[in-house]
Amino acid sequence: MGPLSREAWAQRLGAFRAGPSAFMAGPEGESLGRDLLSDLRSEKLSEQTKVSLLALSMEFPDQLWPDAAEAEAAATSLLDTLRLLAPRPSVLRRPLLLAATAALVAGGALGPTSGASGRLLPLLLDLAAGRDGDGVFGPAAEQRPLQATAWECLRELESCQPGLLGGCLGFLRGLLGLEGPVQPLSLLLALALRNGLVIRARAGAGLGGLLTDSHFPTGGGPRPWDWTLAEEGDGRLQPQAPSCPAAEEGGRGLAALETSPEEVRELRATVAQLLDVCYLLTPVAQAQLLWLLGWGLQGLRGQPPALFKPQLVRLLGTGQLALLHAILALKAAFGEALFTAQDEALLLHRLTAAAQHPALPAPTHLFYLHCLLNFPENWPLGPSGEEGPPLLLGVQLCQGLLPSLLQEPMTLLAHLHLLCLLCAEDGEEESKGRVQSLRCYLEKVLAGLRQRASLAAGPRASATLCFRASYLVASCLAGQPTVLTSLTQGLAQLYQCRPALAPHFVDLLNSVGPELREPLRVALRQEVVLGTGSDGALRWHLQMLAKVAGRDGQSTTLRFLQEAAAHCSDWALQQALLQVCRSLLRDGVAGGLADLLQMLASQLEDPDGQDRARLYYLLLAHLSETKLAMALGPSLAAPALASSLVAENQGFAAALTVQEAPAALRLSVGPRRLEGPSPVLQLLLEPLQPLYSLELRFRVEGQLYRPLEAVHVPCLHPGRPARPLLLPLQPRRPAPTRLCVSAVYTTPTGRTCHAHLPPLPVKFEDLFLPFPSPLEGTGSSFFEELWASCLPKGTESRVWCPLGPEGLEALVSRRLGPFVVVAQPPDSYCVAIHLPPASRLLLRLGAAQEDGVSVALLTDDWTVLPLVGDYLRGLSEAA
Amino acid sequence: MAQRAVWLVSHEPRTPVCGTVRFSRRYPTVEKRAKVFNGASYVPIPEDGPLLKALLFELGLLDNDKDFMESRDSCARINKTSVFGLRIGGDELWPVVAFLKNDMIYASVPLVEQALSPRPSLINISGISQAFELLFGVQDFLCSSQKNDDELNTKLGQLPDLLLQTCPFGTLLDANLQNSLDNINVASMTQPPKQPAWKTGTYKGKPHISISINEKVKSMQYDKQDIADLWQVIGAVTCKCDLEGIMPNVTISLSLPTNGSPLQDILAHPCVTSLDSAVLTSTSIEATDDSAFSGPYKFPFTPPSEAFNLCYYTSQVPVPPILGFYQMQEEEVQLKITVNLKLHESVKNNFEFCEAHIPFYNRGPITHVEYKVSFGQLEVLREKSLLIWTIGQKFPKSMAITLSGIITFGAKNPEKQPFDQICIGGTAYVKLHFKILDYTLTGCYADQHSVQVFGSGKPKITTHRKLTSSDYYIWNSKAPAPIAYGSLLL
Repeated sequence: MGPLSREAWAQRLGAFRAGPSAFMAGPEGESLGRDLLSDLRSEKLSEQTKVSLLALSMEFPDQLWPDAAEAEAAATSLLDTLRLLAPRPSVLRRPLLLAATAALVAGGALGPTSGASGRLLPLLLDLAAGRDGDGVFGPAAEQRPLQATAWECLRELESCQPGLLGGCLGFLRGLLGLEGPVQPLSLLLALALRNGLVIRARAGAGLGGLLTDSHFPTGGGPRPWDWTLAEEGDGRLQPQAPSCPAAEEGGRGLAALETSPEEVRELRATVAQLLDVCYLLTPVAQAQLLWLLGWGLQGLRGQPPALFKPQLVRLLGTGQLALLHAILALKAAFGEALFTAQDEALLLHRLTAAAQHPALPAPTHLFYLHCLLNFPENWPLGPSGEEGPPLLLGVQLCQGLLPSLLQEPMTLLAHLHLLCLLCAEDGEEESKGRVQSLRCYLEKVLAGLRQRASLAAGPRASATLCFRASYLVASCLAGQPTVLTSLTQGLAQLYQCRPALAPHFVDLLNSVGPELREPLRVALRQEVVLGTGSDGALRWHLQMLAKVAGRDGQSTTLRFLQEAAAHCSDWALQQALLQVCRSLLRDGVAGGLADLLQMLASQLEDPDGQDRARLYYLLLAHLSETKLAMALGPSLAAPALASSLVAENQGFAAALTVQEAPAALRLSVGPRRLEGPSPVLQLLLEPLQPLYSLELRFRVEGQLYRPLEAVHVPCLHPGRPARPLLLPLQPRRPAPTRLCVSAVYTTPTGRTCHAHLPPLPVKFEDLFLPFPSPLEGTGSSFFEELWASCLPKGTESRVWCPLGPEGLEALVSRRLGPFVVVAQPPDSYCVAIHLPPASRLLLRLGAAQEDGVSVALLTDDWTVLPLVGDYLRGLSEAA
Repeated sequence: MAQRAVWLVSHEPRTPVCGTVRFSRRYPTVEKRAKVFNGASYVPIPEDGPLLKALLFELGLLDNDKDFMESRDSCARINKTSVFGLRIGGDELWPVVAFLKNDMIYASVPLVEQALSPRPSLINISGISQAFELLFGVQDFLCSSQKNDDELNTKLGQLPDLLLQTCPFGTLLDANLQNSLDNINVASMTQPPKQPAWKTGTYKGKPHISISINEKVKSMQYDKQDIADLWQVIGAVTCKCDLEGIMPNVTISLSLPTNGSPLQDILAHPCVTSLDSAVLTSTSIEATDDSAFSGPYKFPFTPPSEAFNLCYYTSQVPVPPILGFYQMQEEEVQLKITVNLKLHESVKNNFEFCEAHIPFYNRGPITHVEYKVSFGQLEVLREKSLLIWTIGQKFPKSMAITLSGIITFGAKNPEKQPFDQICIGGTAYVKLHFKILDYTLTGCYADQHSVQVFGSGKPKITTHRKLTSSDYYIWNSKAPAPIAYGSLLL
């Protein structure tokens, strides 16, 4: 196929971006990667189109070339394209480098055996160092951006393959001292340094000449890339900015680094060199450097954190998010070694001011507030991992961080959280007044939120905000009864104003802890039942009551329901009313409820309602309290269904019906047993959970046998040996078959389950029965008589039975033992088998030959001949 | 520190999907690392379609029905930062840094270099602040001097190229995208290698430094015994330094007159090389005494090429520039209002404009107004239920002006008249809008003679100052008003 036009590519790329996986699964998916690579060299396409092709290969290399071989080929092709570019200005050079790098890494092809890696790495280093090694630089004008790109490619490769540039450390360091673009070089050096340190420390080795060996790594001819350190690193990724726990591990690791005093000096000089030029980096790059060096040096001997001191004052003066965050990382890494108590206080002041500074945007404020509540204190008092205001952050400092009704919901909640944490503090005498005033303020804020939520025309968001605030307060101040009391009262009033918020109330009751749930439940129940059952909010009242009704105050509840019943004119209201009855049933309310249900069963107009009321009445009359609670309790079946009606009934249905379940036991066929007049299967049971009243049901495929009786087992427990079960078979014809098995049992939770088990095979030989043993010494004549009696209408045949290494004698005794009538080893065996219901099979085995034995057979049922043939031929194979 | 993917999504309310992905960029090499670092808790980056849906849902921007929906409205779903978890299929993609600004959602997923379960604290994830910086950078780029949709589309079209420069592999190199755009344009110039990474090109021409000090004043006035009025000044100092040389050193000093109010909470630009400890510790969050540092505030720096904000500050002036009270009372079907405003004598009585907006929320259109103003004119926007009192350029000699009136409203039409959750019943406010040129409330100024430039010749220095109002509210003293903790007189 020739190259596509610009429009065709635009269309194709658009279709790909709209749904990459769907596109790749479609007819065009397979060839996309191939076409893309070949069209990059087409002269008909404009550079702009090619840039968009390269953009795609930078973003989706793992879809275009998913495996290592394809990625390797793609990278090779991209590098070839780069080499083939004419030496005039082109916008393709940079994206080609980026795409080749992305393809190698994403496809997992980067490695010492990859040819493309072997080409790309020296090329990048040449470009980065400003050497026009491969002549791909093009015009001088492109030199600088191309150089910057090469540095970035190298940094990405080092990130994905730590240790890759370990051999270049000395060289990079030398370059930093000379001229060169400072930012990419500093970042790469810091990264390679940190990775090198970690790898060497893990190996328990020293730095060697890593920092001092400053020759150009690929200079002087085609020297292969140095993969030593990368291979030592074992391809394990290194976090560039690990968080505290992970870093502590790394810290211990770095302490294992064997460094000579000279190496320590070199290392310190390198770090100082990096920090000295830090100011020349963009703020985000400075932050990256500080994270890298901060955690890179933590735990390293002879590297005093004081090296960072000169940077701190400058950085503390900014409000730049990345920089303050990096300072916090340094604080977490070095603690008191870098920040004295005064420094810590200053940092806290700056952070607190930044968290409310009007010149900064809201997302920044919220992140700073998060940092405040997770501040890495020098001497933390509270439990680690829990949010809390640091010790030095008093109420005075937090004033501007307290919630106000004019704030956006997210800001308000974040500030409310802080307020709750401050209110939760049990201060000393002097601060008691302050905490008291904070609690007053908290109540004012909550009251304001409730007032907003109570507006009939108010948006959903204001109701949601009010309930979130209530939840936050209830979870932070669960131990403060006064706060909870006023919260409960306020919420009850809110319900009174706007019963339409009932779903929010139900959600709140489901979410909060018992400290608020119980008093709120009681308050809301009173609020509902004190009203009349006739106002427009009846549907909300009933929804509310279904949640909050209980044994307490049952008489008023029932009175309310009785009154409400008269107003439940439509189906939905009736169902809601019955839902309340159901909750009462579940909670064991009996007296009075029976009367109500009886009344509903007769008075409700809708047959649905009548039936349901009658059912509840019957349940109430016939089931014990515990069984009722279980039947109506929350369903154990997961996941919950979307329809509330179905979901609510699920528990009930689950408890009273048989449910389909995965097999809770394993069933297998044990060794043959010859007992009684018919063939018997010995079944071994292995329960996976306690099972009661187990009933196993069998069905024979193809009606070859008479129907089988079900087998009952009273109980089974995993780990306790179960007696084998004997299953008598009554074949209608002597033929093998399969038994379909299902089990019905009761679980310890009282549920009845039904499960299908894997089918059990019944083999031909499972049907064999012996003839009654002849008297001693008459075996031979008995067999001849049988043979003769069979002969007139019987079928005679001869089969070659191959013998395995075990020999004829062992085979006969193992497989045919019970059926041998006459045995004259090694020359002759006579075997007589009764095949139920009424067939005979007689075998004469002659002397064993080299690889088998000839068997003469006679049967009065010609239909079994193929089965016998198969059986005999497979005799030596089967174990 | 790297980002796994970035998106820009425009929020389009009242359309079927409620939004469109305007830009997306994935970083496959970072994704590869995420897979290793996150291990069993790894959740892949979704395609744009599912992401759009999940993002709009999580930010509550879908226009769905008003009924309560647990997965969206449950009280236990509380987000206290702009970092979200998105439900995609059965998994949760976390952390997603996202915020909405001017109907555009900016979103990014930073790499977390460890397992995600249990969730690490955000403070320990370096990629979070980098994600914010990237998104703020994109936002600044899109919003700077952008006026209409065409310009927005042009800028969105430039984004892929810009990110190729500033974030080629997901690790951000410079949050200043405009800088990189300039960089592309001056690529042919050979840039000296030791130049700061945040400075593009070098200037050739006459040296010139321009300094503008813009102060905003905000206020909450209650006219109540037990509630304290609040006001605050927020200052921003913007500079543009056109100087020759690679790294010219400049020092700008901000000075205050003898009775000036000290600057507090100073946030300096990262190009500032050092700060006095007095500058660093001057803060509004702690009670200050009279001995507070009052300048001059020195800022030594190497300027970037473009205009930049040298510093931001806040200040607490002793009195608000305009003190007012507002009384509004409902009398049967009418509202009776009185507004008094008094300009403080120390404030320059020369406004570019000054007006008071008096909105009436949750009511019908204005049908009738009887009023008396001691000064200025009153404009009545009947349908919007709004009065605008234009005071003009100067307060009269007495410095005090009054408005009183009786207003009648028609039947409420929620479609047309504004709804407000706060201004319920008697709760109402007057909002002042004013601007004074060549003036700062703190008195802060940049003295031309105090600007020091090392290196090139003596530059021409121009300075500008202005004061504008921002969130300047005077609440009805006859009804409850929203208050901050700081207003409670304890």
